[in-house]
Amino acid sequence: MHPALLGLLTIVIGVSGCIGYFYGSNLLLDKVIFPARGPNIGRNINRANLIRPWLFLFPAIFALGLYLAYPVVETLRLSLTDRDAGGAFVGLQNYSQMFGEPKFWEALRNNFLWLLIVPAGATGFGLLAAQLTDRIRWGNLAKSLIFMPMAISFVGAGVIWKLVYEQRPVDVEQIGVLNAIWLGLGGAEPQTWLTIPLWNNFFLMIVLVWIQTGFAMVILSAALRGIPEETIEAAIIDGASPFQIFFKIKVPQIMGTIVVVWTTITLVVLKVFDIVFAMTNGQWETQVLANYMFDKLFRANDWGVGSASAMIIMLLVTPILVWNVRSVRKETQ
Amino acid sequence: MFPTPIERRSVALQRLYKTALPIAMVMWLLPLIAVALTSIRSAGDITAGNYWGWPTSFNLIQNYSDIFTNTPLGSYMWNSVRVTVPTVIGALALSCMSGFALAVYKFKGDMLVFFMFVAGNFVPFQILMVPVRDLTLQMGLYNSVTGLALFHIAFQTGFCTLFMRNFIRSLPVELIEAARVEGVKEWRIFWFIILPLMRPAIAALAVLVFTFIWNDYFWATVLTQGAESQPVTAGLYSLNGQWVAAWHLVSAGSIVAALPPVAIFFLLQKHFIAGLTLGAVK
Repeated sequence: MHPALLGLLTIVIGVSGCIGYFYGSNLLLDKVIFPARGPNIGRNINRANLIRPWLFLFPAIFALGLYLAYPVVETLRLSLTDRDAGGAFVGLQNYSQMFGEPKFWEALRNNFLWLLIVPAGATGFGLLAAQLTDRIRWGNLAKSLIFMPMAISFVGAGVIWKLVYEQRPVDVEQIGVLNAIWLGLGGAEPQTWLTIPLWNNFFLMIVLVWIQTGFAMVILSAALRGIPEETIEAAIIDGASPFQIFFKIKVPQIMGTIVVVWTTITLVVLKVFDIVFAMTNGQWETQVLANYMFDKLFRANDWGVGSASAMIIMLLVTPILVWNVRSVRKETQ
Repeated sequence: MFPTPIERRSVALQRLYKTALPIAMVMWLLPLIAVALTSIRSAGDITAGNYWGWPTSFNLIQNYSDIFTNTPLGSYMWNSVRVTVPTVIGALALSCMSGFALAVYKFKGDMLVFFMFVAGNFVPFQILMVPVRDLTLQMGLYNSVTGLALFHIAFQTGFCTLFMRNFIRSLPVELIEAARVEGVKEWRIFWFIILPLMRPAIAALAVLVFTFIWNDYFWATVLTQGAESQPVTAGLYSLNGQWVAAWHLVSAGSIVAALPPVAIFFLLQKHFIAGLTLGAVK
């Protein structure tokens, strides 16, 4: 059979399966298990309504339990066992081995650098772009263009930026945009940007800032639009300068949204993997935790230490997770 | 158009503002422009060092047909479609139901389930890697499009459920109450009243999930290998490794790989932005 036809068939079966489950399970509940007739009609209806939410929830909970809850527990267990000893329990040995590796500390240091710079950079640029494009005629076009990198995959962006950082010998013309600019500005010789320790981290971060700025801009520009005009009017009448209006009137009013954007990008940064993997693969001191873990699992084939480093990422995410759950709880109460 | 502080400034400042902005835009798009330009150059131009001058020949059609005939990029693209489309449909179907249940019903443990969905949203995906890989191996789905799609459906369902739940919460409760008073069955309420109202949320999520899945690379490397089952992000990575010197082909490949999400983004921008805004601000 033609593959496209096969794909279509799979989709039809899947969708009709979903509808069938939804319709059939509700029917079964209402007609067979707790029918709304006979002597116990009141009790039956109540019982059916107790069970119904779980009918709707069951497929999602099952899928998430299998692919999310179970793996988290399993990784915790794996991080406490040793592969060479046939999966025996070894306590915190993997963790102490990991803490003894300089590569791990390098990854941790770089992750903190990423955490400091990328959310700040993307949010700052996003805020700037949102403000500057807010009241000009071609603002919407500018926004679309700034936002476009967001639609490109991290790997695709990595490949594109590799071209930007590309380096050729001194005597040939430079294909890399950065080297072309560098020589144009009077730089002595072309640089291999991605191999300069410490600085190369920043060259990688630029890629993520480039991608995430569009996201920050979209959210923040929606927030800027929501600011009541009267507050700005009042400030203008009082003789505030545009800078004062921006920093003292507008920014404080959208602080909540700025925090949300900041934490969202922080989460992306903690998991950053594709960009480093595609561009340097952690060489030249650009290792990050996610890539360190991938290295351990796929190259060294050591799932003990790999899982341990995954738990470190989890640990770093936990404060954001708890904070979010608490703020959602506050909202719903 | 009030206030317009910039128009009250001096003429010089206005000029500066109006010229600085387009220049900043060009700088911003420079990487993309460079890639687009490289993708239409000939191999001869690149070896001869003609990167910034006028191309000696425009190889638009040749380069772009080359990547489909000389590299397996076409089959990678097709795999991406086979992973992405079922995932979007599956995750949306599941999350419509679970979002409805969480938004409409009060039952024992509803808050607990809801918080589990919130928490699940923040779990770093790396932590799932080894067990999910083992699980997929055990089910015999390793290195298959089905295995990859199944995982994506499960993982995206968490995020989509939250989104749907918040959206349904914002609908007027009176609609459901009125229907109940009329004696409409619960499943008919879901199917005929709530589902049609959820169209904007479904559109926004479909666009968002499509982009997420199309652009995923991590799970593609973890759960698949080889051109017969890997999606286009993985294809691009291996293309970049094999064709180090052939920048014109790599550039054309990265543009082709980025085309579907970028096209969707431009066509359905409204939904895309609605999705992001709703998802972030709640």
